Amino acid sequence: MERWGARVYDMTRFASLDPLVRDGADVAGRSTEETRLDAAHARELDRFLASVERRAFRIAQLALRNVDDAHDAVQHAMLRLAEHYSARPSEEWRPLFYRILYNGIRDIQRRHGVRRRFFGWLPGSSAHADEDAPDPIEQVPDAGPEPSRQLEADEAMAELQRALQRLPARQLEAFSLRCLEGLDVAATAAAMGCSEGSVKTHYFRALQTLRGQLAEVWT
Amino acid sequence: MNDDREPELQGLERRARDTFDASVEALDARTRSRLNQARQRALAAVTAAPASNPARRGWVAWAPAGALAAGVLVAALMLRGPVDSDRAPAVAGSHPAALSQEPLELLAAGEEFEIATSDEELEFYEWVEVAAVDAANGQG
Repeated sequence: MERWGARVYDMTRFASLDPLVRDGADVAGRSTEETRLDAAHARELDRFLASVERRAFRIAQLALRNVDDAHDAVQHAMLRLAEHYSARPSEEWRPLFYRILYNGIRDIQRRHGVRRRFFGWLPGSSAHADEDAPDPIEQVPDAGPEPSRQLEADEAMAELQRALQRLPARQLEAFSLRCLEGLDVAATAAAMGCSEGSVKTHYFRALQTLRGQLAEVWT
Repeated sequence: MNDDREPELQGLERRARDTFDASVEALDARTRSRLNQARQRALAAVTAAPASNPARRGWVAWAPAGALAAGVLVAALMLRGPVDSDRAPAVAGSHPAALSQEPLELLAAGEEFEIATSDEELEFYEWVEVAAVDAANGQG
């Protein structure tokens, strides 16, 4: 945990933030005003977004299993955060950003679900396209200074992805934020819009499931 | 994450984190570029010049059209000015332009000039001219 300590925040003082982000529609900007930033504030926001963008992309990719959708979700989250929440204290940005990101992920998943339901029978529809879509696992670059180590890392990530993609959405969310992104329980609860108890439950179940799936592969 | 968690679960978490970190580091240049572009777009959305007042923006948008219309109006007035003065109900003889136009109007009216066709009138005009000359010379 020590290496993740820098990313852990005390979310208890963000209690007032919770009502604002509990409803996904609020995150879409209903109760907030668009912001204009001065140069220093913009640089700070730039540094923050640069620090989270790659991890956020990978997390979105894990949830959506599609590169373009992951880009859309990350871009949407960046834009929403910048437009509606950049005036908030910077220590609130990370849980807010992931809250917006997961709202966007759920929206994309809902859209795909509706499309599949109504147009899935059409040839060339999204349902068929999903089958033909490139596997994000295969898109992990295999070129590197040490091909053997890179191959090993790719295989490990492929196994992790397969296991994570079998998790229920909320367990995947809890595991991604808590373990992969390193948020503490309170920040994860703020980002997920649920209680800390729910976070612990989802996270524990995710760990149990992953242990069952990865124990043989990773030992 | 609690330290009292089972060592097996701690190992699993650590391995998952390391694997995830490695995959983040291995993102290709195209993906990084797209993410960078997305970030710049987000920043541009909040650092661009603030939009002006919509009412003022509307006024400014119409300003060129208004200036053009005003210019056309002025040009039309300048071109049509003399014609309009002809049509103005000016009092006869009170306007220099009207006075200068009177002979032309008489000619344009096509009326006959009988004053020059009568011998009596010609004699009258000759008398008037002689009388005027005499008066000028003081012979009166």
